[in-house]
Amino acid sequence: MELFANLAHGFGVVFQITWWSPSWLFGLSVPISINILMCLIGALVGTLVGVLPGIGTIATVAMLLPITFGLPPVGALIMLAGIYYGAQYGGSTTSILVNIPGEATSVVTALDGHQMAKQGRAGPALAIAAIGSFFAGCVATVLIAVLGAPLTKLALAFGPAEYFSLMVLGLIFAVVLAKGSVLKAIAMIVLGLLLSMVGSDIETGASRMAFNVPELADGLGFATVAMGVFGFAEIIRNLDHGAEMDRNLVQQKIAGLMPTRKDLVDSTPAILRGTVLGSILGILPGGGAVIASFAAYTLEKKLAKDPSRFGRGAIEGVASPESANNAAAQTSFIPLLTLGIPPNAVMALMVGAMTIHGIVPGPQVMQKQPDLVWGMIASMWIGNLMLIIINLPLVGIWVRLLRVPYRLMFPSIVVFCAIGIYSVNNAPVDVVLAGAFGLVGYWLIKHDFEPAPLLLGMVLGPLMEENLRRALLISRGDWSVFLSRPLSAVLLAIAAGLLVLAVLPALRAKRDEVFVESEG
Amino acid sequence: MSDTPSEAPVKSILPEWVRGPQDFIGGLAMVAVALFALWASSDLQGMHGFSFGAGTAPRMFAVLLLLLGAAVALMGVLKDGPDIAAYSWRGPLFVSAAIVFFAVGIRPLGLVVSAFAAFLIAALGSHETKWIEAIIVGACLTLGCALLFPYVLGLPMPMFPRFLIQ
Repeated sequence: MELFANLAHGFGVVFQITWWSPSWLFGLSVPISINILMCLIGALVGTLVGVLPGIGTIATVAMLLPITFGLPPVGALIMLAGIYYGAQYGGSTTSILVNIPGEATSVVTALDGHQMAKQGRAGPALAIAAIGSFFAGCVATVLIAVLGAPLTKLALAFGPAEYFSLMVLGLIFAVVLAKGSVLKAIAMIVLGLLLSMVGSDIETGASRMAFNVPELADGLGFATVAMGVFGFAEIIRNLDHGAEMDRNLVQQKIAGLMPTRKDLVDSTPAILRGTVLGSILGILPGGGAVIASFAAYTLEKKLAKDPSRFGRGAIEGVASPESANNAAAQTSFIPLLTLGIPPNAVMALMVGAMTIHGIVPGPQVMQKQPDLVWGMIASMWIGNLMLIIINLPLVGIWVRLLRVPYRLMFPSIVVFCAIGIYSVNNAPVDVVLAGAFGLVGYWLIKHDFEPAPLLLGMVLGPLMEENLRRALLISRGDWSVFLSRPLSAVLLAIAAGLLVLAVLPALRAKRDEVFVESEG
Repeated sequence: MSDTPSEAPVKSILPEWVRGPQDFIGGLAMVAVALFALWASSDLQGMHGFSFGAGTAPRMFAVLLLLLGAAVALMGVLKDGPDIAAYSWRGPLFVSAAIVFFAVGIRPLGLVVSAFAAFLIAALGSHETKWIEAIIVGACLTLGCALLFPYVLGLPMPMFPRFLIQ
């Protein structure tokens, strides 16, 4: 019953009406619901970046981080959340119609989705993708609401030692589930931790590695680093490729959106499996939506009676990954909202957004900021509803957007980012720093270092230091506290086990197998 | 803390026994960052009793990064790996130039001039740029931002060059 009361409270927050009287309306007031508006903007922007290749979700959220500064915190987070799950919808559209995944999460959708489109079944493919996403979104929303309170209670019972171990486990998970070299990913995490140390020490107030530069006294701005490493670096990298991306639009009209009865029968179990798998993988730190969609596709292929159908327009190959990525995108909010630990880079940016607004993420957020948490959860359901409308009837508009050439897009993004980063502190130095981190990010990409773990490390750095400090203070300097407290020992054991498994050749092969689908 | 990307093809200077130049150089760079951090945090207080000083955690992370960087570099020696990827100069140069120009110009020149100029500088970064269309889009974007940031989002910033207003 508490659940319903909470959800009702959330919907109340979302539908809250405020009177808006800007100066240029000469004293007139207009009733608007800011949160609904923010949700809509988030869903629209999310669909947009999902559709456009070359702009990722992480980069977009990083770019919009500064402009949320002027918004109320609830609205800001609702918008940013909308971008994340909105991109999952948008990405599928271009995967199916043009065979260009706008997002990493819909790479696998292109395999069967585009084949369906070639066979003239683009409509059903889009519809199933949207229905699957919507269903998964609804389930995930309920799941967040159900799991929220108990997990928070558990988290509140955690001492500093347990918290530290939990963060270690989270980071290890992030490394194991991600693509690429485990060693390099851990190095990136540690680099992030190190970067987070710049600035004044919370406990002693001593200035650390700031070289008396006043702009560094408060530490490296999270938005600055994120925008550099993701926004600017991505642009520079895309310019490297040089050549205009080949965009062969499927020219034929989309005839009829409605899937046949057979389509629905075929895809229902796939949607269910995708939702379950996605929800689980979303909660686990690390992969989030990307790994969920890959894993869901692999699972469908393994379970299918006739696996050869896959890659030739099997509707399950659209239904399952699309449900999975949307479910994962939403359930990845669970660790963030209940434990205050971001499971992936987008959630790390959400932490950044919360911090900008003076909200310290952690289990106490659920109690102290019920408006924020429940408003966000309720907005997700409303956002999913909006997205169905934005995506299905308006699909033509989005596809037309693909004709915007990158040569016009990238200078716009550069300027927009520069203004955004300047507006946070009105500090030109921040803009230069973001540019420098853009070059660093470009270098990292060139050397095959993933920037996402760096961001996680940077967000978790101060938290890890604080908990490590406190744990050792309580245990009077005894490091064995992490192993003598049962819960902490279990968490660390799981982390160690995962790490060992990840380096073992057998599991490595399995892990890589999940990702090779895209090249197949 | 920023390492600028090296433009030269590094392969030629590396000795034979480096089998994965990409990892080798990458690992060494991490070691360099770690050493720099160790030096930068050397003046900070360490452990006193069993409580952390300001320098304890930074040095701990720096040592960790040092070990990991060394391990990555070692992998570059032991295992065959990809070469150093080719860097292009055009994109990074003009995008950075646009960013720096905006940073320097925003206070004295205001948003309108610096945003429009930054757009055009950034556009130099691609050889596909067509100037007429770039100027039109740049002007529209500048106008849009000049309305969005100060009015809709309520983030005040200088609009026009200082010498024009006075």
